[in-house]
Amino acid sequence: MAGATFQTREEVDFVVVGSGAAGGIIARELAEAGHSVVQLEQGPHLQAADFRHDEWGTFFNNDLTWNHRRGRPQTFRKTAGETATPRDRVCNYAHNVGGSSLHFSGNFWRLRPIDFMEASVRGTIPGTNFADWPIRYENLEPYYTRVDWEVGVSGLQGPWDPPRSRDYPCPPMAVKGSDVLLERGARALGYTAYPAPVAILSRPHNGRPPCVHCGFCLGFGCEVNAKSSTMITMIPAALATGNYELRTHCTVSRVETDENGRASEVSYFDAGDNEQSQRARAVVICANGAETPRLLLLSDSARFPDGLANSSGFVGRNLMFNGYSEVSGLFPEPVNAHKGIPATRVVHDWYELDPNLGFYGGGGIDGRHPVRSGTPMESAIATSMFDGPTWGSEFKARLRQEFTHSAAFDGHTTSLPLDSNNITLDPELRDRWGRPALRCTYMDHPDDLATMRYFMDRSVELMEAAGAVEIHASYPETGQEGSSHMLGTCRMGDDPATSVIDRYHRTHDVPNLFLCDGSSMVTSSRGQPTMTIMALAFRAAEHINEFARRNEI
Amino acid sequence: MEPHPLSRRDLLKNTLSALPRSAIALSLPAILAACSRAARNELDGAALQLLGGEEAEEFAAIADRIIPPDDTPGAREAGVVHFMDTVLADQRERELELLREGLGQLQQLVAGRFPVDRFSLLESGQQDELLREIEDSEFFATIRFLTVAGMFALPEYGGNRDLAGWDLLGFENRSVWQPPFGYYDEDYMNQGGR
Repeated sequence: MAGATFQTREEVDFVVVGSGAAGGIIARELAEAGHSVVQLEQGPHLQAADFRHDEWGTFFNNDLTWNHRRGRPQTFRKTAGETATPRDRVCNYAHNVGGSSLHFSGNFWRLRPIDFMEASVRGTIPGTNFADWPIRYENLEPYYTRVDWEVGVSGLQGPWDPPRSRDYPCPPMAVKGSDVLLERGARALGYTAYPAPVAILSRPHNGRPPCVHCGFCLGFGCEVNAKSSTMITMIPAALATGNYELRTHCTVSRVETDENGRASEVSYFDAGDNEQSQRARAVVICANGAETPRLLLLSDSARFPDGLANSSGFVGRNLMFNGYSEVSGLFPEPVNAHKGIPATRVVHDWYELDPNLGFYGGGGIDGRHPVRSGTPMESAIATSMFDGPTWGSEFKARLRQEFTHSAAFDGHTTSLPLDSNNITLDPELRDRWGRPALRCTYMDHPDDLATMRYFMDRSVELMEAAGAVEIHASYPETGQEGSSHMLGTCRMGDDPATSVIDRYHRTHDVPNLFLCDGSSMVTSSRGQPTMTIMALAFRAAEHINEFARRNEI
Repeated sequence: MEPHPLSRRDLLKNTLSALPRSAIALSLPAILAACSRAARNELDGAALQLLGGEEAEEFAAIADRIIPPDDTPGAREAGVVHFMDTVLADQRERELELLREGLGQLQQLVAGRFPVDRFSLLESGQQDELLREIEDSEFFATIRFLTVAGMFALPEYGGNRDLAGWDLLGFENRSVWQPPFGYYDEDYMNQGGR
């Protein structure tokens, strides 16, 4: 299905920037409502037949994630006083149709009711921008259910899970040895390991086949379309409408505004590096929590001197990565955690940490392979994972043992929104088109570090209870220096002074400009944000369609 | 770049990726010069596109101490130098320069201590002793990274010959698996989910 073809001088109803977790959904929803839609995507339209078990290409040649070698440098610093230096994997995302929903591991935890109102229930935290969402779980629940069914999620409702209006479409994935061990450890200590909800099919659904357990999920595109990316779940339906055009290899440079301060066209560099500009009645930016604020900052003008839609100064601020801890254990028998999907059980007994601990936080622990991709090269590079030798005869002996006999219990945790953690434009470094590079400034809040430490300690206890013979534990104690989760940078809120978009994803400043992706999130989730990003996208699209129908855009 | 004390794999990942932005612009002359030199060169009977035969011999000797041959192939037999040759030829001048400079320094160390001037001519015990002295250097980290990466990459990159690396790990590159995957989940199934 080739879709439609529009002229750039023709005013289409919508331009959607980015085709990832949010952009893919919103474009399909707008197109199916009958609007003319042009979707602009930086990367290619890769499909199942293009994907292979190529670790070098995936992890070290950045075939999907791209980097400075493709003219897309990023810089990083911990604090505003430092000069940021060029780095890879700072804001790590896949450049292709489907965005990072193509290469993620598909852990699809919903938020719980508390996530939306934690600041008022637990109290605000001085020195942070910790706040309630303008919506509640009940507002989002119907859209979580749409994600379950239209995108495709496997799972089993647990006794502590938030209420759902409809069961999962697919039963949970088969448990892995690493999660059997997690479950044993949890049971011994009085905790509960429950089937992990994942955006990977355990049985045929919506014409797609179930997972074949090849083990190449995290970082890789799915070779059988069992992983529920928007590339396979949304884009084909959008193309089938006949009023949707997908333009790949198009990197957006600016959103232009007219004399009334309305978004009027979207400028981009096409596959041949020619600058083009598509006229549109309205624009939806879904470029992810790093590139959406960067694009707004790049779209400054006399009328919007601090960047488009940035009268609050909140564009790019409150960046949240989610924290993590990693605890590996060596076991006497083969675990073979490299087979199957990354995680099949999760312990959520610490979703909300006791305030008496003296710090804010919460999260979950799931069972995995010690290198999260669970793939051979990554595993060998990390060997010995237990403080053994890293080269020589004994190293070779460890290689024979660790890849197959290890499991990990990984913590996934909250991050607090801070002014000092943000996306800005690098004052010196430029990308291949001369645009200021993306600059990231990030240092985890002390509570975030304490939370990671807390989860690491719990995982060590679980690992001991599970019978590990060697244990290695870590968390990023000097602060994270990059992430695949870029959240909170154009937050949703009722107050235009402290948020960028309203509860319907419309920017407070520009009536025909909408934003939806990780940047919309007010709090960080417990470490698995994509389910929420997709639910927000279904909800945003419904409201945008309604505004369009009522001629209110 | 600040090493991450507890996440060794991130550090190693970044050794190959944190290139200064000038590296790409400077790459072409170096590539062309290297390629013209390369046509004549080979290691273990297989042609090299970038590395010279002599330096390839030295890198192979180092790689073989990182993953030594025993009852299964070591790094050299698995072709990791050909993997290095493949990836270094792909606009990775900084790493190539780092490896060549580091090798030069290592050979000076050899010549200052032994009656020969090539690492590859030493006995394995002597080689290990020298490598232990330099194991914290960026040179060693880079060659160790490339050795291990090459051992376990898709064979089309030149290493992991005859799947020697994957066999060592106990990895089978299949598209489809069926549970149970290992001992513990099989045991769990046998016990009815306990």
